[in-house]
Amino acid sequence: MLVEKDSYMYEMIRTELIDVLGAENVGTGAADRFGHSVDFYWIPEMWHDRGMETPKPDFICHPSTTREVAEIMKIANQYKIPVVPWGGGSGSQGGALPVYGGIIVDTKRMNKYYGVDKESLTVRCQTGIIARHLEWNCNKEGFSTMHLPASISCATIGGFLAHRGTGVLSTKYGKIEDMVMSIEVVTPTGEIIRTLPVPRHASGPDLTMLFVGSEGTLGIITEVTLKVHPQPEAREFRAYIFKDFHTAMSAGAELMRSRLQPCAIRLYDETETKTHVRKVFGMELEQGAYLVFGFDGRKDIVACQMRYAREIMEEKYHGQDLGSKGGDLWWENKYKFFYPPYMFHLPQAFGTLDTVATFANIEKVYYAMKKAVNDNFPAARFIGHFSHWYEWGCMLYARFIFEEKDVPADPGEAAALYNRVWDLAIKAAIDNGGVINEHHGVGLKLGRFMKYLYGPAMPVLEKIKKELDPNNIMNPGKMGL
Amino acid sequence: MNIDTFRDAVNACRFCFMCRHLSAVGNVTFTEADTPRVRASMIYGATLAPEKLFDPDLIRTVYRADLSGSCRRNCVNSFDEVGLLLACRADLVEAGAAPEAVKAIAANLKKMPEWRVSGTGSVLYVADNYSVESGAAAAFAKLAGRVKTAKGGSCGKGLWGLGFRKEAKALAKKFVKVLESAKVRTVVVSHPGIYDFLVNTLPEMGLKFGGKVMHSTEFLSGVKTSRKLGQLYYLESDFLRNYNNDYPFPKALLRANGARLKMFGTNDEESYSCGEGALVLDKIEPELVEKLAKYVEARADHPEKDVIVTASPYTKVQLAKYTSLKVRTVEELLAEAL
Repeated sequence: MLVEKDSYMYEMIRTELIDVLGAENVGTGAADRFGHSVDFYWIPEMWHDRGMETPKPDFICHPSTTREVAEIMKIANQYKIPVVPWGGGSGSQGGALPVYGGIIVDTKRMNKYYGVDKESLTVRCQTGIIARHLEWNCNKEGFSTMHLPASISCATIGGFLAHRGTGVLSTKYGKIEDMVMSIEVVTPTGEIIRTLPVPRHASGPDLTMLFVGSEGTLGIITEVTLKVHPQPEAREFRAYIFKDFHTAMSAGAELMRSRLQPCAIRLYDETETKTHVRKVFGMELEQGAYLVFGFDGRKDIVACQMRYAREIMEEKYHGQDLGSKGGDLWWENKYKFFYPPYMFHLPQAFGTLDTVATFANIEKVYYAMKKAVNDNFPAARFIGHFSHWYEWGCMLYARFIFEEKDVPADPGEAAALYNRVWDLAIKAAIDNGGVINEHHGVGLKLGRFMKYLYGPAMPVLEKIKKELDPNNIMNPGKMGL
Repeated sequence: MNIDTFRDAVNACRFCFMCRHLSAVGNVTFTEADTPRVRASMIYGATLAPEKLFDPDLIRTVYRADLSGSCRRNCVNSFDEVGLLLACRADLVEAGAAPEAVKAIAANLKKMPEWRVSGTGSVLYVADNYSVESGAAAAFAKLAGRVKTAKGGSCGKGLWGLGFRKEAKALAKKFVKVLESAKVRTVVVSHPGIYDFLVNTLPEMGLKFGGKVMHSTEFLSGVKTSRKLGQLYYLESDFLRNYNNDYPFPKALLRANGARLKMFGTNDEESYSCGEGALVLDKIEPELVEKLAKYVEARADHPEKDVIVTASPYTKVQLAKYTSLKVRTVEELLAEAL
């Protein structure tokens, strides 16, 4: 808490916020402050799990309009207190944690849906709308955002924009940044700006992309226009088992290089195939690496693409065909991994070492991270799958897991162990051509690696931040800024 | 403590975000505290430091939950956050820590008059206050012909939901005696909460009623209207859908009478019941129920002309009170079309 609750300054700020939002929309209660102090980052979850107090915001603001957001920014600048945007709170990087107290701007009241433009196939909404609710609205009009991540039920569209989120169909439809047409932003000093209405132009640098991925450090995105798509006539999946991870990776890369257009590809390493895939799908897969892919769109084109893809899998890489049933199982259970008890949770210590690299580097990155974890932390398990595929490479969703007996009881020691794993694994990834990360964002967790990742380019980001946010009120302590 | 029997839900829900979009109350208050994850986390905190259970904010959060059961239905492993909250309420009551407003509602429930049984027949219809106020009871009488009717009392479900378990059980015993002394083979109810009480809560209390229990729509399954019901928006009951495995009879009855049912809203996962699962949320937090009703109204395709049908008298009462939607109970629609 920056402002002591028993000081008259606390009441001064609260009164100003109430003037803008109404008393009902300025929270200071214990339950709500607690609710905004723990996201899905392991450290605060562990802290709370062990009865420790988590850093809490002083005020939780629930604006419903862009204008109200701008007014909050002006008050925060006046008093020089932190502003932390909060959407659904499903982030795993600590990006929305109010580590220095101050004001949480909870965007969920900004949930207006303005409908689909059926000529342009775009949809406009406020960014506090929960992604599942947006998707339901679009579905009712016969369309889909095709942004279908596991966190769709919790995260807001603004949250996805803030950290460049992605969904299970990213290979065809792209990440959130590929879906954006334009945005409205409130800058840290309270100006309201709009980016150009189309994403492809030659009118200077891409202002939209300056804010997308900035994790609330450069302002708050309040409204967005996104692309939408007609629901496909057909969507088909097929799964294969390959003799090892390398062969499966080669087959997946070949599929992408063929320039067929899969909507999804997912490859599980041998360890994850044996454990997680079996547990969730109930499939008996004792060895090898499981790869699943799918196509969607017009039925005849899906069938044609599937035929060529099968040739690659079967004739060139000798994959064992699990058929469409083996693929459908993945699609039907794609979110099941994230429900308890399938998801890792405390008292285990675990983390997702999200990294992206070119096909030339991705296996090197995988083995370097695996070695860093296995050599330095013999108690940890290392598993991985490859989730989001591009023409040039893919994303490694590597995870480390410590069982309860291997995690120190002291919370400080537990945090130190946890951070040490990240230090070694992330540096191994970066040193081998990996980029941290692909879609979880940087937040608090990875901020300390930004200088290492960006090198001499980091001051460019720092100068942008300083110019836009002279009082450093916006989400301080995040992204290494 | 009662919450100790729900450790599995505490430890599952506090690390899970998969049902947060289904928190009906959270979707109108927009606060994190009104989500299963944060409620479970706070209750977990109370297991480490029991004094935290008595934080007024936590207590208010626990008592304004909608208890719709949508989260449990959505959960692939059916973790029971609803059960956890009910257990937490029971702990609060046992510790004397229920809010004064809740104690006053409980006192009123305890003071309700005895059940009065009238009429003749081999079937007993339980006409609770919501069924009477919504018009469902009167319509049922028109459709059902000769039945006995029980009116005026409380079965104990409301008290059970508020955490007054001992008192609820005492009322439930009296209620079962009323049913048994009516000497009928079948008991019929319109209120899905009472249906759930007879089917699920009585066994949970260790009590038993030997007769057959039906929701009114099952009992009326032979009704034939003189005209087709046409296009209707069906608005689900929490108790029938989420607590009783998508109880099929309301929709089957409507379809058998020529209804072309459209799903109300944008999906069949959310609760649009205005807090039916919490039984007396309208008495605990009327302003919150108004917000829930407005949320429902905003999701109607054509609010001025759509005909919305529900098997929940409670929901009909709230929507009639706070919105301009045209809402009918199943019984009313059938009676109008006889």
